[in-house]
Amino acid sequence: MSATRSTPAAVVPPAPPRAPAVGPPAAPPGRPRQRSPRRARLGPYLLLVPALVPVAIGLGYPLVRQFVLSFQEYGMAQQFGRPAEWVGLRNYTELLSDPYVWGVIARSVAFCLVNAALTMGVGIALAVLMSRVGRVARMTLQVGLLLAWGTPVLATMTVWQWLFDSQYGVVNWLLAEPLGMTGMRQHSWIIEPASFYLVATVIVVWMSVPFVVFTVYAGLLQVPEECMEAAQLDGATAWQRLRYLALPMVAPVLLVVALLQVIWDLRVFTQIYVLQRAGAPTRETHLLGTFIYSLSKEFSMAGAMATIMLVITLALTAFYIRRMLREEA
Amino acid sequence: MKRVRTSGLAAVGVGLLLAVAACSGGSETGGDSGDAEVRLWLAGTDTPQELRDYLVETFEEQNEGATLVIEEQDWSGLVPRLQTALASADQTPDLVEIGNTQSPTFTYAGAFSDITDMVEDLGGDQLLEGFVEAGTVDDSVYAVPYYSGARAVFYRKDLFQAAGVQVPTTLAEFREAALKLQAAAPGGKPNFSGFWFPGQDWYNGIAWIYSHGGDLAVQDGDTWVGALSSPESQKGLAEVQELFADATRAPRDADSAEPWVPFNNGEAAMFSAPTWARWSIDLPECNKGVAADDESEQAKVLLAEQQACNEEKTGVFPLPGEQAGTPATVFAGGSNIAIPAKSGNQELARNLLEIIFSEEYQTMLAENGLIPGNSSYADALGDDVYAQAARDAALGAKLTPAAEKWAEVEGARILEDFFQQIAGGADLAEASAEADQLIADTLN
Amino acid sequence: MTAVAARSRRRRGTAGRRLLGLAAVLVALVWVFPIYWMVSSAFLPTNRLRTPEPTFFPTDGTLANFRRVFADPTFFRSFQVSISVTLLTLAVAILFAFLAALAISRFRFRGRKPFIVTILVVQMIPAEGLFISQYQVLDTWHLVNAVAGLSVVYVAAILPFTVWMLRGFVTGVPLELEEAAMVDGLSRTAAFFRITFPLLAPGLVASGVYGFLQAWNEYTLALVVMTDPDQRTLPLWLQGLVEANRATDWGVVMAGATLISVPVIVFFLFVQRRMSAGLVAGAVKG
Repeated sequence: MSATRSTPAAVVPPAPPRAPAVGPPAAPPGRPRQRSPRRARLGPYLLLVPALVPVAIGLGYPLVRQFVLSFQEYGMAQQFGRPAEWVGLRNYTELLSDPYVWGVIARSVAFCLVNAALTMGVGIALAVLMSRVGRVARMTLQVGLLLAWGTPVLATMTVWQWLFDSQYGVVNWLLAEPLGMTGMRQHSWIIEPASFYLVATVIVVWMSVPFVVFTVYAGLLQVPEECMEAAQLDGATAWQRLRYLALPMVAPVLLVVALLQVIWDLRVFTQIYVLQRAGAPTRETHLLGTFIYSLSKEFSMAGAMATIMLVITLALTAFYIRRMLREEA
Repeated sequence: MKRVRTSGLAAVGVGLLLAVAACSGGSETGGDSGDAEVRLWLAGTDTPQELRDYLVETFEEQNEGATLVIEEQDWSGLVPRLQTALASADQTPDLVEIGNTQSPTFTYAGAFSDITDMVEDLGGDQLLEGFVEAGTVDDSVYAVPYYSGARAVFYRKDLFQAAGVQVPTTLAEFREAALKLQAAAPGGKPNFSGFWFPGQDWYNGIAWIYSHGGDLAVQDGDTWVGALSSPESQKGLAEVQELFADATRAPRDADSAEPWVPFNNGEAAMFSAPTWARWSIDLPECNKGVAADDESEQAKVLLAEQQACNEEKTGVFPLPGEQAGTPATVFAGGSNIAIPAKSGNQELARNLLEIIFSEEYQTMLAENGLIPGNSSYADALGDDVYAQAARDAALGAKLTPAAEKWAEVEGARILEDFFQQIAGGADLAEASAEADQLIADTLN
Repeated sequence: MTAVAARSRRRRGTAGRRLLGLAAVLVALVWVFPIYWMVSSAFLPTNRLRTPEPTFFPTDGTLANFRRVFADPTFFRSFQVSISVTLLTLAVAILFAFLAALAISRFRFRGRKPFIVTILVVQMIPAEGLFISQYQVLDTWHLVNAVAGLSVVYVAAILPFTVWMLRGFVTGVPLELEEAAMVDGLSRTAAFFRITFPLLAPGLVASGVYGFLQAWNEYTLALVVMTDPDQRTLPLWLQGLVEANRATDWGVVMAGATLISVPVIVFFLFVQRRMSAGLVAGAVKG
């Protein structure tokens, strides 16, 4: 794969088309130049300080505290002054010895992988579509996707709830009236876990695809037209050009986007939470995000669960992280 | 010196953040007791503006130099807000309204001040009983009842007539009426419900458990045990399951929210809700099409006509009990009020609490359709049908168990899941045993 | 390159492209349907929203819902708060992330690798249980109910992603450009701002879009940090609207939601041309 990184596609000229001042193409990335040792000593640390301060205050300290609490018994009473008791690994053993928790973990991993895969598939397909159509169609698609991405989640989730409502949902109405499936008139979409996850998947994919489309589309734009034309002259079909030329060239983009999708889909919270409140069986539909939230009155348990979840995420993404570190070396 | 300049950027950045932090410090609402600003958190919109004005005026009159600020908090975000703010000496309000089922959790956690010595003054035995219990730990009282709102059954008079159904006077008659309405399905709507009873609606469902003498959980020594499997609860649940099966077409994946929507659409003959639901009944045949923001005199007249028309066509009765003439034991919604332990204005907060429990204020609560915390002023509710239904229902109403961790049972939505299983035709004994286990695991 | 692409696209079969164009428009329509439903509901009175026969086109609609939102002074107050929080968060986050990105792509130093791993790992930790500790930190610093306080936690939340993204852009700008400018007599700082900074525009824009969305729509933290009714952000205001009456007036809520999304859409359309280039460059160097 390192060969891919040195292709022109991977080295993205950062200049927007309207900046003619840019001279030579970018130097290969991932190999920061050695500066004089004097500069290298203090400068970078000073540059990191401003970012580190808010992250340490707003995220670092709470995270460390969450981790420490996970070895204590800490709930509401402790928050109001009762002393916290150290319990060692008890929170962890309690969680990990509960088969229900393992069920939640398994469901979450499955949900995450399916959603990330679907999002990537649909996103790539739409990005390719976008690169093949005229300006009007492209702008229409772009604006449509932008709207889905940018509207407040609170509002879109309410609307999705209405669309899949058993009694007055538009989905049921469409199935029953124009399509004649009268059995669907009062269909409950979210009462069976399988069907619940189907609805959740539709919503999650709907919300995540725009990010993928825009990123991958931009990546495809960077594939030199000359390569594509040369391949076309050599008799490669459109599919072959995409599969063997364009996609490998945007592989680094795809990898990063896929990684983000895995992280985000494993943490999915809002969509599941709202659908549960809409009338789904809660216990059977918990994923890691909502399960941790349901523990939030016992901070120590929630903390332990969060740590467990971090380990799972690391396991799922270990491949990528290792690769990244190798390239950084 | 080039190096310095580059890292100067970083210094600018840190400076910016600090500057921003510094300039915002001043915009704080003061937690300092010296400035004598008392903050009262009211939950939701139940307390009308007129009552808020009265509190501010009276309090500032009686406590010279002190000011009262009322901040309204949404019900949906109340618990996380209390969880954080009550633990902060700086940010804590001085008096808070809190949902009655959330009350035990905070009381046990030590979030409130002991006000046992005030109870006699505030109303003593006349205070709504279950509510006081929800704010009591080891015989010390930390939270007292603010108001209660009981549930009553609304029905369409024309549909009752069409199906030949009378207003029921016992729980058994109610069941028959619901079944008969469902079977007759007057009005010709395909998804008609005799009684709107969605699958997760445990707020209404527990009335059957309570009325047959059952309970959700009971205390056995130091531990709590789920009580859904008790013979009394089972009797009630069997009736609930029958209603789910044969008296309603409401979806299983819906809860007690907005039951008037199917009612207004002509798809339900009865629904049970807090009595304020009368303002949400909007039958198409009565609707005058007044725009939502129209505040002209003419619009007001039309709206009054519309309301009269709706109330003409709608009846209301308290869910009847086992014996004729007695109301069922329904779930009492409502709230408690307490002084946060971290508040720096304990004395002033107590003064405010006294104003709230004064005859004037309690009467004002009642006049606005709320059962006041001190039940001796409930007569001020008036004697229209809604007030009567509310008072009758509240007479025997009952709360959820006053267990320290009850809020966690609600947070985990154990009862929503359980009633949904019942609605789905699950085996009663099995589902109850399972739910009992979950409740016990959560409470202990 | 755009011109070349366009020319060659013109050469391809037009019939096939029209078909694909049609498909793209169809996908767009499907995608936008929930948003359409939101806007359409905003024009209907609440008793028309959930009925056995759905209303697909609000032809007899009303503007009453929008008028009611505009008549609500708390809407404008919340709008101010939201704009302040979002802009402050964006400005600080982008500046700080940019400096950090500069450090890790222009310098090699001890602790660089751990830093890169940390900003990646931090994004993996579930944040749902963090609000209590975050509140306590802000409380200690007297930053509860303050725009700056909420901004600090927002900045912390979006910085890792932003650093990661910007890092790719900074790496992409050749240092030689700056050095050439310095030979022409500019100071390093001046050279940096004249030469490198403009080239980072797409990256800054892309990070900006992400940050804008996060700060504009966030609810959970704002809920506990902003308890003072005068300090509520728009998502809190919207939730308040849901509960404003004992029975929710959904038509007004949808009108409110539509109005809240307008600035987001405007911001989007304003920057979207540059964004595509931005997103990809950041990602490639990940």
